[in-house]
Amino acid sequence: MFLLLILALTALCAAASEYHERLLLRPLPQNALLASFNFRSNSSQQSFDQQNFRYFPRSLGQILQHAHTKELHLRFSLGRWDAEVWGARPWHGAREGGNGVELWAWVEAESDDEANARWSTLTNALSGLFCASLNFIDSTRTIRPVMSFEPEGTHANASLQLLHGTLPHEVVCTENLTPFVKLLPCKGKAGISSLLDGHKLFDASWQAMAIDIRPVCENGECVLEIEQTVDMVLDLDRSKRPRADNPIPRPLPTEDLECDTSKPYHAEDSCYPLDKGTEPGWSLEQVFGRAIKGSCPLSTEWWGDEMMAGGKTVCINVDPERTVDVRSAKPYGEVKEGHMRCYQLPDGTDFDLELHEEVIPPIPLDQPPLHAARAITGYGQERGGVESVFTNPSLTETLEIVYLESLPWYMKPYIHTLKARLSPAAALDPIKETYYRPASDRHRGTHLELLLTIPPASTLTLSYDFEKAILRYTEYPPDPNRGFDVAAAVVRLVSGGRPEYLRTTTLLLPLPTPDFSMPYNVIILTSTVMALGFGSIFNLLVRRLVAADEVPPTPLVLALARVRGRVGAALRGLLRKGKKE
Amino acid sequence: MASLSTAILSLRRDRRILKLPPYLSVVLIVVGVVWLFMLPLNEYSRQTYVSENALLPGQVHTYFGGSEHNVFRAYRQEVAALAEAPVDERVQRLEEIFRSSGLKVATQSFEYKAAGTTVQGKNVYALLQGPRADATEAIVLIGAWRNMDNVLNQSGVALVLTLARYFKRWSLWSKDIIFVITEDSVAGPQAWVDAYHDSHDPQFVSSLPIKSGALQGAVALDYPAGIWGHRFDKLHVVYDGINGQLPNLDLFNTAVSIASGQMGIGCTLQRMWDHNDSYKERLQTMLRGMLNQGLGHATGPHSGFIPYHVDAITLQTVGDGWHDEMSLGRTVEGLFRSLNNLLEHLHQSFFLYLLLHANRFVSIGTYLPSAMLIAGSFTVMSIALWIKSGRPPTNSDAPSSEKAPKPSQPTKSSKLKNQTFTAVKSGSATVLIPDALLTITERHMFFPLASLTAISFLGLVPFYLFNRTPLPLLAPAYQIFTIATLPAPHILAFLTPRLLHRRPTSQELTLLHCFSLLLLGMYLSALATLNFSLSTLIGVLSTPFSFIPSARAPGATLSRREKARALVWSVLIALLSPTNVIWAATVALEVDGGLGEVLRRASFGWWVNGLWTSVVVWLIWWPAWFVASFIVGSGIW
Repeated sequence: MFLLLILALTALCAAASEYHERLLLRPLPQNALLASFNFRSNSSQQSFDQQNFRYFPRSLGQILQHAHTKELHLRFSLGRWDAEVWGARPWHGAREGGNGVELWAWVEAESDDEANARWSTLTNALSGLFCASLNFIDSTRTIRPVMSFEPEGTHANASLQLLHGTLPHEVVCTENLTPFVKLLPCKGKAGISSLLDGHKLFDASWQAMAIDIRPVCENGECVLEIEQTVDMVLDLDRSKRPRADNPIPRPLPTEDLECDTSKPYHAEDSCYPLDKGTEPGWSLEQVFGRAIKGSCPLSTEWWGDEMMAGGKTVCINVDPERTVDVRSAKPYGEVKEGHMRCYQLPDGTDFDLELHEEVIPPIPLDQPPLHAARAITGYGQERGGVESVFTNPSLTETLEIVYLESLPWYMKPYIHTLKARLSPAAALDPIKETYYRPASDRHRGTHLELLLTIPPASTLTLSYDFEKAILRYTEYPPDPNRGFDVAAAVVRLVSGGRPEYLRTTTLLLPLPTPDFSMPYNVIILTSTVMALGFGSIFNLLVRRLVAADEVPPTPLVLALARVRGRVGAALRGLLRKGKKE
Repeated sequence: MASLSTAILSLRRDRRILKLPPYLSVVLIVVGVVWLFMLPLNEYSRQTYVSENALLPGQVHTYFGGSEHNVFRAYRQEVAALAEAPVDERVQRLEEIFRSSGLKVATQSFEYKAAGTTVQGKNVYALLQGPRADATEAIVLIGAWRNMDNVLNQSGVALVLTLARYFKRWSLWSKDIIFVITEDSVAGPQAWVDAYHDSHDPQFVSSLPIKSGALQGAVALDYPAGIWGHRFDKLHVVYDGINGQLPNLDLFNTAVSIASGQMGIGCTLQRMWDHNDSYKERLQTMLRGMLNQGLGHATGPHSGFIPYHVDAITLQTVGDGWHDEMSLGRTVEGLFRSLNNLLEHLHQSFFLYLLLHANRFVSIGTYLPSAMLIAGSFTVMSIALWIKSGRPPTNSDAPSSEKAPKPSQPTKSSKLKNQTFTAVKSGSATVLIPDALLTITERHMFFPLASLTAISFLGLVPFYLFNRTPLPLLAPAYQIFTIATLPAPHILAFLTPRLLHRRPTSQELTLLHCFSLLLLGMYLSALATLNFSLSTLIGVLSTPFSFIPSARAPGATLSRREKARALVWSVLIALLSPTNVIWAATVALEVDGGLGEVLRRASFGWWVNGLWTSVVVWLIWWPAWFVASFIVGSGIW
């Protein structure tokens, strides 16, 4: 399905001004549901340059023009994708970012300074637009990746610079969703975007919001395309709990508890929870709190995908045997194929899907091509280590990956300790290329980019040690004892033709933190005073006072004096000789 | 300042200055000990309070109850069925239960070889990924399969399993929660927390396959009730960590305030089952706490976490009352909700404190002077001995001194009547200076320094011995060592003149004594900031080392009275030898398993938990005792 979408992307027809939307629902194991929203609109480069915006949001368009940004990718993410249970990532990881906010853009500039200035303009403007602290992406958080990112659009201009910045500590919440929804032509009033409710989105186990803007050219005609993506994994049990009367997961009434009656001790008062092995039932209204409010009248047909021909906007990925009830007052379109069912939304009326609890085999999930985990090792205030573990589950394919780390300047890695271990051990050196730009205190963070090879069925452990810097006391944030967030590492798989990405979790780096409290300062001061007083009195009592002329000169001083005397005498002799002559 | 300097300088040669220190030292010790006994008074201790705003203990409604009780009973049956099962079967079953709750599960095996025994087992742990968490922070709930008394922690483990299932339903967790079921209460948790921080030896302890972020707190449950349950009366909060390190007081306070304030469960500590908050009981609690802190041993599954700066406590159910497992569960729920609220690592409240009662404590600022005064008493005596060693012996003639011209120093003329004088010319002025001021006594440092170094290194022998000897031989080895080392300093004192072909001079012995006390004072004052109780205990037990009779001059014979005094001192010092004290304490405290168990724990602690108490005993205390005993012996032989 995703492959088709990506193909659709490349085989894009240069329509003048279009808007499409699509929702994919996929029940995942352990009572989870993936909801993947995608909104795409475009405008021709010509009308964009003339500030003639239709579906393309004007606010964003003007920022891009002002900051001379040609391609932009913005990510708001929260939580972790559990690849072990949920399988491969949606969009092959290309539409998600590290925890917090991640931004990268290709900026047109003649020099580095100009690029930095335009980057700064861009982050400040976006910060206002998205209610996020994007303005905190300063020079210490900005890097220029070399291998990790490639432009998605077509760019004729060569003088483009790629800049990348992350805010790992940014908490993504409703204030970021509202401006996001506002950029859509139907603004959450109709179409699938009417399901985007902050309460549900931010209660998800994992969620990512993405904005991608790229110029796409074909046969000399260029359009500027904006793609907005919202992916979330909802916990069905949690989401189905009605907000109004019982938002709290109180223990079930005893009679509602489903017990394993085969247990010998099963009784009135003992209940071993039963694992029913069923796929849970749910409906859009239960999960999202509301049904879809008809189709967005502005949307046009989705191209490239046969399943979605005829304005089929909502797709659900379930077993063909499973019953899906559709509730709609007006006629709707439906098409079934394999594990996929797509529906055309009716105009101006509510549309709801309902699935019942059934014993049915779960749908097959794609397995992720790579597992990655990163953690801080060691403890203490002075130094630590980072260990990243990559596992290539494939039995046949060798993986080639680019590993990108953007570390804050106060975390100083020792690159000589960078080690890559393969298990099972292999003769080849897994590190093919290294790009390293060391940090400069208070100006620039570390940029480390590695090209790695992982043989089939192998685990690569990458580790390095680092030193923790001591900050100036004004440089600590208001909650210094929490620790400092280190941005997620970006992993790009370069083996396949399409871009595939994966992000590790962020890290929490505890730095040596002074005790900012009053008693500590009092202790330090009084100890200093006491040490001073004690020291001087002890000194006076115990030291033997001797006049300076009584001290016998040390042998070294004597030897020096002797040498000096001899040299002096020799010099004087020479001088006298010279005078005489 | 100038007049002060002159006044002090004028004291330099004052005879009184050497008379004062022993009294000063006694005063310091007395004040230090009395100080300790003042601490339980209301004026010197404080009511506990929660310092961290974010904790908000007991402010949330807890919902654990109702049908969860049925689930708990079922899990308790499951645990009971596994009581006799082999390790692998048990681990597998626990894994299944965790997995059915939708958690990520992993296991860890460990095998420690220490004190001639092998301790091995398997830990199971499950990770609940907080819906709002980003894998940066985690809190831990521990249920050891067997508790400190090696009893099956049946209800405790069942409660951990039930809570894991219950917590999974909440969406408010901003931190990951890790549920750990360890094999035992000392080695298992230690292996787990070591591996979590990658400071384990992979040969003995396997690495953890699943990890989360930085640990923010850990709570262990000890509830060994069987399948029919047991209604308990109180919660015993255990908080001592390895090496006497303590968890942040906020964690303890939160637990106490939730248990007693919200759930109505009384809290107790340091095995004071009945505590009426009287002076005597407060003092007893404090002294028990100090003993536990001083020993620095593991007191529960939480102990191993504290050295990693992870605040941890164990909640133990005690007595017969009317609180059931659900009350304990709700206490834990409340505690986890509080910990979940934390924005920062616990740092607001005290890390160094003595608890007198569940809601009364003494902070470091109030109690530290006590240990410092006791440690200071050694330093004072050491300075006095140093000054004394630089003076000509009083009973013999002053050795010939070179009469070099010296700058005149201000002295009090009234004191100089009975002294011999030397005329000193300085320019045109002539000054009469007493001879005593002009004599220079050279300090012979080689013998004292060499012997002190040798004796200090000698401490490595018992240290090595008791950490290497296999378990069955530990107690006999200790007894032999005790009996062998008691006369050892005397034998050395007897042999030294024969080996050196001269008696060590009184100055050399004074210097040896001085350096030994200097080291002791320095170590103890440094130790007081790390482990107050250990420093105080050793300080008090070492006080006689300061006051042993000064060594006689070579050639001088002892009067009968002096001889008797020296004998009394040598007996006293022998009685206070570290080996005797440990032995006596073992008997007096009626430790289960006796001496062998104490030594096993010490050795196990050193190898597994990184316990430093034996280092302090054998490399600080024991050498100080040896030197004192040697000096007393030199006076006799």
